[in-house]
Amino acid sequence: MLELRNVTKRFPGTIAVDNVSFSARRGEITGYLGPNGSGKSTTMKMITGLMEMSSGEILFDGVPIQRDLLAYKRRMGYVPEEPYLYAHLSGLEYLTMVGQLRGLPAKPAANCINGLLRLFSLHGDRHSPISNYSKGMRQKVLLSAALLHNPDLILLDEPFSGLDVGTALVLRSLIQELAARGKVVLFSSHELETVERVSSRVVILHRGKIVADDSIERLRTLMALPTLEDIFSQLAVEQDTAGISREIADLIGA
Amino acid sequence: MNDLQFRVLYREFLFRMVDLELLSPQGDITKLLGQFAAILIWISSGLFLGAIFFDARRIPPNKLMTVLWSQEHFLIATTMLVVGLFAVLSWESTFLNRRDVMVLAPLPIRTRTMFLAKVASVATALSLTVASLHTLAGVAWPVLVFSPANSGVLGMIRSLAAYWVTMLAAGAFIFCCVLGVQGLAAQLPRRLFLRLSAVLQIAAFCLVVSVYFLQPSLATPQALSAAKNQHALAWLPSYWFLGLFQALNGSMHPAMAPLARRAFAGLIVAVFGAGAAFLLSYFRTLRKIVEEPDIVPGVRGVNWLPRFGNALETAVVQFSIRTLLRSRQHRVILAFYLGIGFALVSLLWKNPGPRQQADIPLIVASVVMMTAWVVGTRVVFAMPLDLRANWMFRVTSVHPAPQYLAAIRRPLFVLSVGPVWLASAAVFLWAWPWRPAVGHLVVLGLWGTILAFVSLHGFHKIPFSCSYLPGKSKVNLMFVAAGGLLQAIGLGISYELRALRDPASYARLVAVLSVAAVFCWWRTVALAKAEESVVLFEEEESPAILGLGLFRDGALPMEPAAAPNPPT
Repeated sequence: MLELRNVTKRFPGTIAVDNVSFSARRGEITGYLGPNGSGKSTTMKMITGLMEMSSGEILFDGVPIQRDLLAYKRRMGYVPEEPYLYAHLSGLEYLTMVGQLRGLPAKPAANCINGLLRLFSLHGDRHSPISNYSKGMRQKVLLSAALLHNPDLILLDEPFSGLDVGTALVLRSLIQELAARGKVVLFSSHELETVERVSSRVVILHRGKIVADDSIERLRTLMALPTLEDIFSQLAVEQDTAGISREIADLIGA
Repeated sequence: MNDLQFRVLYREFLFRMVDLELLSPQGDITKLLGQFAAILIWISSGLFLGAIFFDARRIPPNKLMTVLWSQEHFLIATTMLVVGLFAVLSWESTFLNRRDVMVLAPLPIRTRTMFLAKVASVATALSLTVASLHTLAGVAWPVLVFSPANSGVLGMIRSLAAYWVTMLAAGAFIFCCVLGVQGLAAQLPRRLFLRLSAVLQIAAFCLVVSVYFLQPSLATPQALSAAKNQHALAWLPSYWFLGLFQALNGSMHPAMAPLARRAFAGLIVAVFGAGAAFLLSYFRTLRKIVEEPDIVPGVRGVNWLPRFGNALETAVVQFSIRTLLRSRQHRVILAFYLGIGFALVSLLWKNPGPRQQADIPLIVASVVMMTAWVVGTRVVFAMPLDLRANWMFRVTSVHPAPQYLAAIRRPLFVLSVGPVWLASAAVFLWAWPWRPAVGHLVVLGLWGTILAFVSLHGFHKIPFSCSYLPGKSKVNLMFVAAGGLLQAIGLGISYELRALRDPASYARLVAVLSVAAVFCWWRTVALAKAEESVVLFEEEESPAILGLGLFRDGALPMEPAAAPNPPT
């Protein structure tokens, strides 16, 4: 189980994540939602160990991740929000490098990489540099790199970004399959419909604070709202969306 | 042309002469540019002191003209060297890059505006380079030394103007030559141009450095008039501009007249040739940048590399090899160091000295190239490639730091010590009897090992993955260290030559080098194994105390605070 206890991240002049506590359990898919700038990616980076917390504690299977960060990283797979990759390497070279960095045995890693490339339809382009890849292809490389070592904890930050419909459907099923096989899955997305279909529960973040943490079913019942989009709008969207749209159209003289 | 667009683009292009991707988040581009300027001003100070202490009265009258010409030629050649290096190093920023085109092309900006802003920024950078190099020397030499005797204040002013016009013209000439070559190459298909660019950059670099060090000394009336030197003079632009300076200064010797004419003609041809080639290629390149990728796809099987130890070591070494082979920017910086080594070796081959033997240049070449290669490779390792992508190294850091630090040492041996040693082995075993050849190769291997471990001391970064912070290296100390290193190499080589003929001396030499190598290895490894050692991805760690960011838009929050919200 992944557990965040009173996690806070302060930047000069602002608090990006404010006293956040929630947990993500094995076999569950936890959706992590929030508007832009709400602190989702900052939380993800703290969970991956890329960013240090200002205060609080993150535990995986009851052990603070900072106690043995290396052991924790061996069990964690991460897809970042932005597809930053070494573009001068080919997809195959990049994944091979990731396998080597993770210390995976060469032969099984090569088999796994080839399999992932084939299943993600990248095999034909495996020798092309990543600079030639489309956004969706880069996302597939990131997904492959995150899953290569069969992690126990899977952190996905906007994993559907840039994927074509077919691959998005595959990823949606994959997330469910991995959770069913006992993985802890935490993913953030702006695609509320997907989150609603995939997640067992959601954590909604607004201005760095948690405003909801429950199963979607219970939230629907408690708030008497039919969809996750309505729940999200009520909790995390302060603006009068229709009014703003009208104002913008008026402003540009449309 | 829209003036505001021009100004915005001009400023943007000017400050992007240096790749911002290299900089740490705490890095400051103005500080970095200031450091470059400081290096040039530092050189200028040295030249300035030369002018201050120049005493014409101590030079025999019949030699005075030759001394003055040699000094004038030295200053012109140095200007051409510095501008030539600037032109080669700023090769990447001469054209818009892919990001520029993707950002600017959709905006309502005329291509002409972008082109002119680019030309203006390059011209400004070029002028600033020449101005920095001659900040102090550019006043002292023409006013105190070069102005014709008894010419008064007017003579000084004329000499000052002649000096600056000549230096700027010499700089413009060499810059336009490099630009012209680039413009002509850009007529090729873009992929071919990108491949060829790397070769051309290194070739131009070696040419500029070699010409500076190897050109014959012809600054005497006899040498300039001699028929046998006319062919060489026709190919040595620094002498043309010496003629131009003499013409502008009003002190022209008849032997200089054809050189001055050649400088004038050469400048016109270079400026218009480069202008035409650049203009033609510019608009063509803009289209091609969008249509074709920057990195040429690899060929299946060609990119295969062997294993280099365990998986982690293999990953780090293969990443380093691929990055160095595919990144033009890093290759050029390495070529800079190799070019310096090459120039020193060339200088020795050119002037072997009366007491030296035929074997010495070969030994010096191997030792100097080993030194230049190891130092250059270590320097490029510190310069990142796509900093934002280094998150993968952080996320996959599943091994203890000492294992990473052990893996980090390996690429330097694979990419520098190994290749130079193998190439030297081939040459020495072919050219020398096997016994002295093996003897020297042992010494060379130990020297390479010592250098590699010394240069890796405290280097706790995966190559190409840590940010770069300007202002950290102490350039003045680097010059002193380089001078000391060259001196040590000279002494070491003379000792080795003697030792190769005397087994006892040779044993002592090998013993000393072995002890030094083992000590360097032990020190570097001990530091890497220290408990507090970590792999660095930021040159400067985040501060323990964070500022509160109370400065907004450069203004202090002096305005009266807004009325507080009523308590709820």
